[in-house]
Amino acid sequence: MPHRRIAALLVLSCMLGTFAPQTVAAQEGEAKQAAAGDSPSAMRRIEKQVDDAFEKVNEKLGSVMFYPIPVAPGQTVPAAVLWLVFGAVFFTVRMGFINIRGFKHAILVTAGKFDNPGGHDEGEVTHFQALTAALSATVGLGNIAGVAIAVSTGGPGATFWMIVAGMLGMSAKFVECTLGQKYREVRPDGRVMGGAMYYLSKGLGEMGAGKLGSVLAVFFAVLCIGGSFAGGNAFQVNQSLNAIQETIPFLADNGWVYGLVMTVMVGVVIIGGIRRIAAIAEKVVPAMCGVYVLAAIVILVMNFSEIPNAFAAIINGAFNPNAIKGGVLGVLIIGFQRAAFSNEAGVGSAAIAHSAAKTDYPVREGMVALLGPFIDTIVICTMTALVIVITGAYDNPEYASLVKFKQGAALTSRAMDSQLNGFKYVLALAVFLFAYSTMISWSYYGERCWAYLFGDRASMSYRIIFLVFVFLGSIVSATKVLDFGDLMILGMAFPNILGVLLLSGKVKRDLDEYWAKLKNGEIKRTK
Amino acid sequence: MSWLPRKKIVVPVDFSGESVHAISVAIEMAGQPADVQLVHVLFPLDAVSPGVVWGEVTDEKREAAVREEFDKLIATNGLEGVTVEVRFGNPGLEVAEAAEDSGAELIVVPSHGYHGVKRFVLGSVAERIIRHAACSVLVLRRSDAE
Repeated sequence: MPHRRIAALLVLSCMLGTFAPQTVAAQEGEAKQAAAGDSPSAMRRIEKQVDDAFEKVNEKLGSVMFYPIPVAPGQTVPAAVLWLVFGAVFFTVRMGFINIRGFKHAILVTAGKFDNPGGHDEGEVTHFQALTAALSATVGLGNIAGVAIAVSTGGPGATFWMIVAGMLGMSAKFVECTLGQKYREVRPDGRVMGGAMYYLSKGLGEMGAGKLGSVLAVFFAVLCIGGSFAGGNAFQVNQSLNAIQETIPFLADNGWVYGLVMTVMVGVVIIGGIRRIAAIAEKVVPAMCGVYVLAAIVILVMNFSEIPNAFAAIINGAFNPNAIKGGVLGVLIIGFQRAAFSNEAGVGSAAIAHSAAKTDYPVREGMVALLGPFIDTIVICTMTALVIVITGAYDNPEYASLVKFKQGAALTSRAMDSQLNGFKYVLALAVFLFAYSTMISWSYYGERCWAYLFGDRASMSYRIIFLVFVFLGSIVSATKVLDFGDLMILGMAFPNILGVLLLSGKVKRDLDEYWAKLKNGEIKRTK
Repeated sequence: MSWLPRKKIVVPVDFSGESVHAISVAIEMAGQPADVQLVHVLFPLDAVSPGVVWGEVTDEKREAAVREEFDKLIATNGLEGVTVEVRFGNPGLEVAEAAEDSGAELIVVPSHGYHGVKRFVLGSVAERIIRHAACSVLVLRRSDAE
């Protein structure tokens, strides 16, 4: 057990170490600049230092995780994306297209139609509550900003591949969340601890590969902590700031003020322990999703005559994109990458939330979990993409600089506001809530991984670092934050998918058994 | 014959095998189970996990679950007569405080018995108890200690 703590300390210190020399170098550069009389404001100097530090880390990690793997003559796919595609396709085939055949059952289970009437199943929350918790982590700026960036850089065709990635991702989510339930730990006080770190170590341990399992679990936990600081935190602050400064111009030059407000708001929950705020934020998210999707549908209806053209552009763009977009493979990479960043399928994070659900059948919670990528990607991301395509925002020269600097949330805000006058204010509120609830949920993921490595007593140190990253998100450039977030979150897929592949036989057996019971009437609806 | 004449002994319990061993040692030393008090310390709840956010996990429910575990532990190991307490906070500090509150003469700590880095990482609850306890502390050595 302690080996994982030591390994984690080493990896974390290496990651932090890459920041340190750069910060010193940046300070030296700034000092020279100041001496030469060219002195930017103190805040700008700090912003630049942090930005440079992120760049250094991104370069180092990116060269490994996004290593270009040749797949055809002259064509390469980044290692992380290839791994995700391979994993999602494998799980879909291995589980006999559970993403399609399990869909109806998943909805019934989430609606409580199969709940144990006695309600004595072990666990903390209902299926619906677990799904909402997992969704509040995934439905965030990835759905609004990430998708806008994907469509702008990959063209309308990226939408198609995002939907494909979402469908395949449902199977990956099913397998990992089933495992999350299967290998969770229930403590004496009834609290449940689960997630990829548990199934990797315990599950592979069961198969006689305990050492490999422990290494993968530590690797996963470290990256998840990184992801909770980046994609689940700094990226959310950064991109929501983008959208909000469309309505509050003061923040455009004073982003740190927003960072400070967010830091305080997250701080009162994770350090101050004010549960009510987290509860409200989490419960409002489904309503905000509804408002967002509804607004997108209104825009689509308003542009009804454009819909056939938009679909043609999406299909055409998916299979015959122009060379500038990098060919079919280039568009596919963008689509898969952004879908995975948004729905986290194959990444392993949601298994932490789903392991808390009350059920006696791990497979059942896996089914519920497969609704996550459906709602997140196939519904919400597609809505954003359709709006960006139909309004032509993706190739509007007016927005070229937003695309260049990856300010996706601002792009979506302008695209939607151009159709629904004043919608940018509603979007600003939605974006704020999405960002906030995603950060709260990711702080839970990160804290669980931190506790896995360093014990429950160390939680406070994690929370303090988390708050530092909330603030950093407001002062780092969008490009660096997005890249860093990608590296961490997509990086989690390496240990996770490897472990899940090895454990997929167990899931398949459990699934077959459950499915047989369901079909022969042994498992019945209770409502 | 008891080792301590009619004195109370506190045993921190995490429901592991080592805890059961420590309880037996404490009962033997005290002479009767009634003089042994078992303490389980729970970390305060966070504000962000789904169970807490949805109000499904509360300190009351956690305490009830732990008391149920205590009942099982007592029944399966024949420990009838011991008293139990559930506290919230930092384990090391709370155990020391529980001993002080009940006027205990001794705390018997089930130890993991690790050395080197393992001790550094895992041993700190026992060390905290020693640092904060107003009474004597007996730290047991695990039979399979490295």
